[in-house]
Amino acid sequence: MVTLSTEILVIGGGATGTGVAWDAALRGYDVVLVDRLDLAEGTSGRFHGMLHSGGRYAVKDPRAAEECIAENRILRRVAADCIEDTGGMFVTTPSDDPDFADRLLEGCRATGVDCEEISVQEALRSEPRLHPKISRAIRVPDANIDVWKTVWAMGHGVQQRGGRILPYHAVTAIHREGDEITGARVRDARTGEETDVHARVTVNATGAWAGQLADMAGIEGVRVLPGRGIMIAMNHRLVNTVVNRCQMPSDGDIIVPIRTVSVIGTTDVNTDDPDDHSVHQDEVDAMLDDGEKLVPGFRQARALRVWTGVRPLFEDAKPTGTDSRDVTRAHALLDHAKRDGVGRFFTITGGKLTTFRLMAEETMNAVVAQLGESRPCTTSTEPLPGSESSEPYRLGERLARKEADLIDEQMICECELVPRHKLEETITRTGSTNLDDIRRQLRLGMGPCQGGFCIYRAAGILHARDGMTAEDADSSLVNFLQERWKGQRPILYGDQLRQSRLDDWIFQGVLDVEHLPS
Amino acid sequence: MRSSELHFDAVVIGTGVAGLVAATRLAQSGARVAVVAKGVGSTHLAPATIDVLGYAPDRVDAPGPALEQLIAARPDHPYALIGADIVADALSWFAELVPSGPLPGYVYGGSLDHNQLLPTALGALRPSALVPETMANGEASGLKRVCIVGTPALRDFHPALCAANLSRAGIDARSVSLELKLERADMNTLGIARRFDDEKWRRQFCAELSMKLRADEAVGLPAMLGLLDPHEVLADVEHRLGRRVFEIPTLPPSVPGIRLYEILRSALRAAGGRLVIGAEVVSSTREGERVASVATRAAGRDLAYVAPWYVLASGGFASGGIELDSHWATHDRALGLPLRGLPADGEERFVATYLDEQPMARVGVAVDAELRAEGAENVLVAGAALPGAVPWREGSGEGIALASGYRAAQVAAGQLSPTAAIA
Repeated sequence: MVTLSTEILVIGGGATGTGVAWDAALRGYDVVLVDRLDLAEGTSGRFHGMLHSGGRYAVKDPRAAEECIAENRILRRVAADCIEDTGGMFVTTPSDDPDFADRLLEGCRATGVDCEEISVQEALRSEPRLHPKISRAIRVPDANIDVWKTVWAMGHGVQQRGGRILPYHAVTAIHREGDEITGARVRDARTGEETDVHARVTVNATGAWAGQLADMAGIEGVRVLPGRGIMIAMNHRLVNTVVNRCQMPSDGDIIVPIRTVSVIGTTDVNTDDPDDHSVHQDEVDAMLDDGEKLVPGFRQARALRVWTGVRPLFEDAKPTGTDSRDVTRAHALLDHAKRDGVGRFFTITGGKLTTFRLMAEETMNAVVAQLGESRPCTTSTEPLPGSESSEPYRLGERLARKEADLIDEQMICECELVPRHKLEETITRTGSTNLDDIRRQLRLGMGPCQGGFCIYRAAGILHARDGMTAEDADSSLVNFLQERWKGQRPILYGDQLRQSRLDDWIFQGVLDVEHLPS
Repeated sequence: MRSSELHFDAVVIGTGVAGLVAATRLAQSGARVAVVAKGVGSTHLAPATIDVLGYAPDRVDAPGPALEQLIAARPDHPYALIGADIVADALSWFAELVPSGPLPGYVYGGSLDHNQLLPTALGALRPSALVPETMANGEASGLKRVCIVGTPALRDFHPALCAANLSRAGIDARSVSLELKLERADMNTLGIARRFDDEKWRRQFCAELSMKLRADEAVGLPAMLGLLDPHEVLADVEHRLGRRVFEIPTLPPSVPGIRLYEILRSALRAAGGRLVIGAEVVSSTREGERVASVATRAAGRDLAYVAPWYVLASGGFASGGIELDSHWATHDRALGLPLRGLPADGEERFVATYLDEQPMARVGVAVDAELRAEGAENVLVAGAALPGAVPWREGSGEGIALASGYRAAQVAAGQLSPTAAIA
């Protein structure tokens, strides 16, 4: 049994948890962050990639809108390299209530969300694939954010300050001494080794799993209702602006252009199980129909992949005498000393990706207060590693960089422009043997061919790493194929089915992966 | 757009193995034949071995007898419609055709008596009935010690992983990665194959490789031993290295596949057949139960091809011959013929485990026992457009393509005129 001592233990490596770790590290605390899986493999990595302007909430939830626009402005400064300034647009399609646009404008003005109505002609000029019969168009400062890049940038920032990031370390027990939480026991999913982490303060940032973790600490009534939503990535940028339907937020009413794809989302179905990643055929069909309403011909585009994210909707089920039951999209910070009489333990859940930094700040403010210290938050001014120049990401950056030395560089993934040296560096730096983890860092295999060409190459390069056996490389390859299949299976039609069958030809017909020696 | 008509005895749609074999056989029987296709066929993707039956579902050692069993057990399988005798005839015909082609001395070897186990680029052992001579020395039972050779310039082949998996299969294998002086950091096997055609380059390559080899080990290289004269390239490399050498198929484009395409294309030309690439079939006309014409769109105008016989060899889902649209309807893209083998209502199209058999995989154009399309009595279907097979899982793709193309030609030629009939 290994023992680690730290000041702040953060459980949960999504945007919120990593944000808490980053916030704590900037305040000078020693930090350990653990996650049962890879960073941003839960809800954070399973959303559409939208950095909200707040417009979407301006009518329905003004407070959320105010938070979003404030965070949007901050993140554009401190996480510039992770954000592409696509801008956003609300459009009234023939299926929408024509009067909602006025309510939206009013709501944006009231909440401070920048908005500007533009002519339909101008909207169609900038986004020619939009439905030609839209009647109104309003610009807002939506953008897209690369969550893996953001989370890993914070993770590296933590590591640079001496903190430890431990992916694939699942909590097996929470340590409680009397009325205080003193850390947790974690188990390395890859080696089976257990570690005791002793901490001054423990933060539960496990999102949709927060109730399960609170149970382990013996704390009752932290209920998180998982809300399941599907998203579909289409193989190119059908639009270059985040496009929202001008109506009360509903299913399938956003298309977010991000990197080389556009993502349509989403649905909202209650589920009992935060690990429920099921995709139902009727949901896919409805999403494709919704796509047609915004972009006619949507069904003719290639659908690359579908996935499910599970939102944490917090409901405080602790009986308090008054009627305090409240299910909210807003985030919830629980100081368990105040709520349950259990010190040194905090839960942060709910909320949305756009407000992760604010959630982390509020959490660490409460932690610092309980410790009786005074260390101010600096995450709103300190840029993430890689974002020091405050230059936003621009589509085409990768290509522009590559074009200069294309002749000297071997491209492993042509779809996402991942060169060999970058892949080798990432394998060395992370020590990862899992091609799916490497995918999240580099976007390897996320383009139209979904790994058809690059994954054999990547498996070969991975195998060349010291100590990697053929067995491990083979299983990493087969696991990757299975993981990709999971996201493709419900949307296999048209040219993407053809692509997928071509990939089968490579893996089964040429390489015969099914019959590797066992 | 102007439209004009061209008349033939038979029009073949598709330039994979099935289409080219059907067209060549028809042309050899004296028929006037045109092949129309959107692009080059699947030859450029595949290893170019002739796999007749590799798994059923366990690995098949003797494809001939296993074929008889498959035919008995699966009357809906293309082989059951074609018959084992015709499979054997088609293989013999093909084996004789290859040496008469444009690649001097290049031959395919093997038989239906036993499958040859050849290493894949991943180091698995894949069973094939007929293999090009450039791969024959890779046969696993003959491999004692082997050195798998690659180069960092080729991202599509990883010798260490290939060798490590071969070792796991009990073969004494190691690997060498050879730095090659190429003007680009990145080349595919096609680019390097063109170098191998150059004798001076080959000499240099062999000199550098020789220094890294040990006594008594064979050499496995990615499949890139030349495009123009692979027989000579193999002999020369073996001579210079003083050992047995073989090719291992890797990611597309497939050099042995391009050779196979050239062999079949040249046979078609030699027999007087016509090949039109870049001519996608966009529509067809009907006269009752017959297809009257097919129209292609190329060079800005529609061209109608009129013939008493049509062979549909446009492939399955992978080649785009059959498609599934976003409303989950399936179509034969060229002629809109009825399909067979679709999952029943309520049954899944695809199952959760990637490597399990997928229900959609057996979909194809519905045919009768003579490969005639249902509802179109003058259309014969060949290759991956046929229903009932799972070619990659079974290791049967080229066998079905070759034999069904051969059979389709036989059926059509037999009806064209008594003098044109193929024995």
